[in-house]
Amino acid sequence: MSGQAKELKVAPSSNGDSRGSWEEKEEFHQDNLGLTTKPTPVTGRRARKVEGGVFFPKPENAVTIAVSTRVLFRTDREQKVFQQKGVEEYLRYQIEHENEPFAPGPAFPFVKALEAVNARLRELYPQSEELFDIVLVTYNHAHVGIRLINTINHHNLFIERFCMTGGSSPIGYLKAWHTNLYLSADSEKVREALAEGIAAATMFLPEKQTEVSESQLRVAFDGDAVLFSDESERIFKAHGLDKFFEHERDNEDTLLDHGPLKGFLEALGKLQKKFYAKGQRLNCPIRTYLVTARSAASSGIRALKTLRAWGLEIDEALFLAGAPKGPMLDKIRPHIYFDDQMFHVEGAAEMGTIAAHVPYGVAQKHNAKQNTSVGK
Amino acid sequence: MASTIENTDVKQKDPDRAVVVAVTSREVFEDGAEGDILALRDDMARKLLMLMHEMNERLQQESAKELLQFDVVLITTDSQQQQQSSSIISSTKHHGLEISRFCFANEEDFVESLQTNNVQLFLTSDKSEASQATQKGVLSALLDHQEASPPSDQLRIMFCEDAIIQPDTGPTPANREAIQGFAAQLGEIRRRFSLADSPLCFILVTAHGSKDSCASSLLTLRSSGISVDEAYCLAGAPRDPIMPLLQPHFTIRISFSDLEE
Repeated sequence: MSGQAKELKVAPSSNGDSRGSWEEKEEFHQDNLGLTTKPTPVTGRRARKVEGGVFFPKPENAVTIAVSTRVLFRTDREQKVFQQKGVEEYLRYQIEHENEPFAPGPAFPFVKALEAVNARLRELYPQSEELFDIVLVTYNHAHVGIRLINTINHHNLFIERFCMTGGSSPIGYLKAWHTNLYLSADSEKVREALAEGIAAATMFLPEKQTEVSESQLRVAFDGDAVLFSDESERIFKAHGLDKFFEHERDNEDTLLDHGPLKGFLEALGKLQKKFYAKGQRLNCPIRTYLVTARSAASSGIRALKTLRAWGLEIDEALFLAGAPKGPMLDKIRPHIYFDDQMFHVEGAAEMGTIAAHVPYGVAQKHNAKQNTSVGK
Repeated sequence: MASTIENTDVKQKDPDRAVVVAVTSREVFEDGAEGDILALRDDMARKLLMLMHEMNERLQQESAKELLQFDVVLITTDSQQQQQSSSIISSTKHHGLEISRFCFANEEDFVESLQTNNVQLFLTSDKSEASQATQKGVLSALLDHQEASPPSDQLRIMFCEDAIIQPDTGPTPANREAIQGFAAQLGEIRRRFSLADSPLCFILVTAHGSKDSCASSLLTLRSSGISVDEAYCLAGAPRDPIMPLLQPHFTIRISFSDLEE
């Protein structure tokens, strides 16, 4: 069920990487600026904003966020057609409604916030490729392609890379594009990604949604089995709370092993430092939070020491000592909150927090509700 | 002087409804002495032929009188191969390859032969041959023997816009017609199979353009009869890491303005 997540590296923006050939690299920028796209018979499309001279960063330089269609947009009606009438009818329906854009889905505010950060980064570092690169990765058949492109244009999203695999696994493409985070509605695909060392989480359609900031990206993480490994959770599950405290005390100076989302936090930290370097610490458009059931005076110490040893800064660490996370998250209003326990994800969602499940570690055996995934 | 000979072991296809695909003898056979049975160069051509043959069978399963079929022609493109005609014929029969006709031509007249045989798609790994054929209005695609072996249960055809646009070697109007006809028939074959588990799969890769140019390509292909199964918009990301995942049997490079009216 759980594998050790491999350490994810954010490559420095050197051009020394020998991966793949990029002969057209030089003409590339000029091509983009002079590129004439043929007029698309698309209704409701607004002009894409031109931001700086760098449109498409190299995958290894950017922080690549891959999202599936079901989390970026709301496709529940279409999902019903698929489930009730099969794939042919589903695709026919999509083509029929090609010019009707989808409504925003659970990952939409997160993606918008990423773009807001990009806008600020481009102002400060116009030539840099260290940006968020949002990629649409879907199992969908390319028949849905036009509708998806129309929708991206309608919402003025800055997504240029996508991958419609027509049914086969997108995991290979995630790896090829150095994906730093993969969000999907399908927990099986998310598990597959985690097994390959890619940070991933499952998102669900929220019952209600509270407003989130449009100018500051807020990302919240649970500690154990998300940023850290699930070793301590294992002790807790097997031997109870007292043993857990004892173990943490005894091992206070031993670093926790890393969890699947550590690399993503690291990537966020690197971008934060770019703002600090330009005197923007107080005005940084990225803010990170640790929201953990550990308590500050005891078990929390090990978590903090580990973060410090990793060289990772987290803006706010909230040690709840077992208190419910819902109210705290409601105050934070993150664009996304990662937790390995469905119980917490559901609790957060009930209060309108955008929560994502990381199906990693020992907690998966104790999930309250299994999410069934259908369709693409 | 080029000559065309029918393969008596294989049923001939209807000239109006068949999709005529030509493949060069060098793609199929190793060199050998005249009179010998020639060895197969590798698995590539054999698998391609098998895939097309299997699709032909499936099409006929639905209707025994089905005329929409792949019609494969083996063509020689240089005088050395041209002189090996009897070896080529006997080797083809020996290996049981589904080739309906042989066309024995040389460097000078192979393109003309392609035209007289109404070849709609010319497959070769030789860039210069492909280029010569394209310039005379015959759609060509390059085979790559180095690339990782594509699947044997599905023919994967990739469409890609030209990376470099060469205005002075633009195809003639006749070419436009040829592509249209080919696309329409190929699309029709695809529609006979289901969406999932199809023996035929169309892939679109937009290497450098924006998503809007990808949308444009999708619509253009669709109006020519081809509904693409998989689409990838790379926006400049390197192609090499994903080629082993895409696994096309061959790539058809078209300038999409060719397909527009």
